[in-house]
Amino acid sequence: MSETPDKSNKFVRTHPAWFVWLRQPSSVVFSFVLLVGYAFLLLPDKETASPIVFYASINIFIVLVLAFTGMVLADNKKPEILKMFAALLLIAVLCWLFYRYSGAEWGRLKDFFFNWETLEGNWWILWQGLEVTLLLAFISGIGSILTGLLIAVLRTLHSPTLNFFLKIYVDVFRSIPMIVVMVFIFFALPFMGISLGSILTTVLALSLGYGAYASECFRAGIESVHSGQLEAARSLGLSRWKTISKIILPQAIPVVIPPLTGTLVAMLKDTAVASIVAAPELLKRARELYTSETNPTPLVAAALIYLAVLIPLVRAVNLLENKLQKKRHTQNE
Amino acid sequence: MNDSETMIEVVDLHKYFKDLHVLKGVSTTVKQSEVVAVMGPSGSGKSTFLRCLNRLEEPSSGHIYIEGVDILAPYIDINRVRTEIGMVFQSFNLFPHLTAIENIKLAPMCVRKIADKDAAERGLALLDKVGLSDKADAYPEQLSGGQQQRVAIARALAMQPQIMFFDEPTSALDPEMIGEVLDVMRNMAKEGMTMMVVSHEMGFIKEAADRILFLVDGLIVEDGTPDHIFNRSKHKRTLEFLSKII
Repeated sequence: MSETPDKSNKFVRTHPAWFVWLRQPSSVVFSFVLLVGYAFLLLPDKETASPIVFYASINIFIVLVLAFTGMVLADNKKPEILKMFAALLLIAVLCWLFYRYSGAEWGRLKDFFFNWETLEGNWWILWQGLEVTLLLAFISGIGSILTGLLIAVLRTLHSPTLNFFLKIYVDVFRSIPMIVVMVFIFFALPFMGISLGSILTTVLALSLGYGAYASECFRAGIESVHSGQLEAARSLGLSRWKTISKIILPQAIPVVIPPLTGTLVAMLKDTAVASIVAAPELLKRARELYTSETNPTPLVAAALIYLAVLIPLVRAVNLLENKLQKKRHTQNE
Repeated sequence: MNDSETMIEVVDLHKYFKDLHVLKGVSTTVKQSEVVAVMGPSGSGKSTFLRCLNRLEEPSSGHIYIEGVDILAPYIDINRVRTEIGMVFQSFNLFPHLTAIENIKLAPMCVRKIADKDAAERGLALLDKVGLSDKADAYPEQLSGGQQQRVAIARALAMQPQIMFFDEPTSALDPEMIGEVLDVMRNMAKEGMTMMVVSHEMGFIKEAADRILFLVDGLIVEDGTPDHIFNRSKHKRTLEFLSKII
């Protein structure tokens, strides 16, 4: 027992041999060749193979491809270019499988999804729809910001009774789907003799609903202001309202802007729901075109327009968040 | 006003936080131009006592008279009372979104409705008084702790208060910055400001304070001159406490 343990081997990895091999470049090449071979030789034909063999074979293939890309992506010693290649390969393989086995009539893709001729002379309808969408989002955005701010400021009064009712409002509108509110206002309220048009219905529903979300954003921002600020302001003789407007809100709003913008982007997306109450916004107009042309290309165009408008906004929210995070870091140093 | 006029009178002040009895009947009076130090072990209710006097904490029972007026009466506008009482906090609590001069101008402009130009003029004079006239346009984060606390004092003075409260004004400061803040406070004491100071700065208290209130477990156990408390006290808790902090 006087034998001294070998100190030099104390921290040496003890992985099994196969695991060590997996991290070598040769394993990547070998597995890739194996996969290509599988794809050509073992993948069955849909018509001739028995269902069990067919599904088993395809599933094994998918698992192997996932294992291969997983192995490459998880190894942080492998170069990024190889990981990008593996990821693209995975996407390509899945697309190819879908193309080969889904049974869709691919010859009609161009005719029905990308038949831009159906939109010739009709683009103005989509642009008009986009205008209505943006207008709805703008007005509802203002509505929900004001609603949210009002609720958040009222909650700073810390009145238990008031808070009870405000919490009920916020919880109800965060729980109920937007589409239900719109359908109720548009289709149910007329029975009571209250008929709001489709535009007003949308603005009202979105303002009420997203006002609840916005109030939570504002509340988080207000709560992020240190209580010492409030005490300092009050000890100087500032009234409650002056304290909120001069001290609390100027500090809360920079904190609130990223999550609030995120909420408003979500609201802009939700304007599409207004198409079911016949508000003439982008999706509704695209569906009209789809019906009149009996071709789904307008729907594809609408989707692309939504993407073109929303992706920059989503990126912007992200940038704002990063900026705030950086500011907080420098403040904490 | 003559020199012996009573500025603050506290009668049987109680404060509960839920079931916790923090102040158990504190009574005292503070005369004009008096500098009163409040000392005591942590948790004895020193800060709570001070914060009750301008109703940052709502007292549970008792009476507080500021310049003879019962400020707990229902018809009192507490904001007007607070303009008479400047308060300086342990953590400075400067407004981080405003520059030093804006911090000082804010309350005179919002509450006293003084014009921007006049407020700026007075603010610069106050900054000069605390030795920071070159830092008027600096934001709090650009100032050291000692400088921030001096701006906070100038901010409180901008309302031309009759009384100043200091709640552990040097406890959050690095040792080399304590002196500059105490110098400002010493000058204010010399100029005849009525002051209540929660602090354990023995040197400052010995030199500047007229009286020491010694608080233990929510009660004033001793009330006397610094000389009396530091040198001739017979009270067990006082001696115990002093032996720890010297």
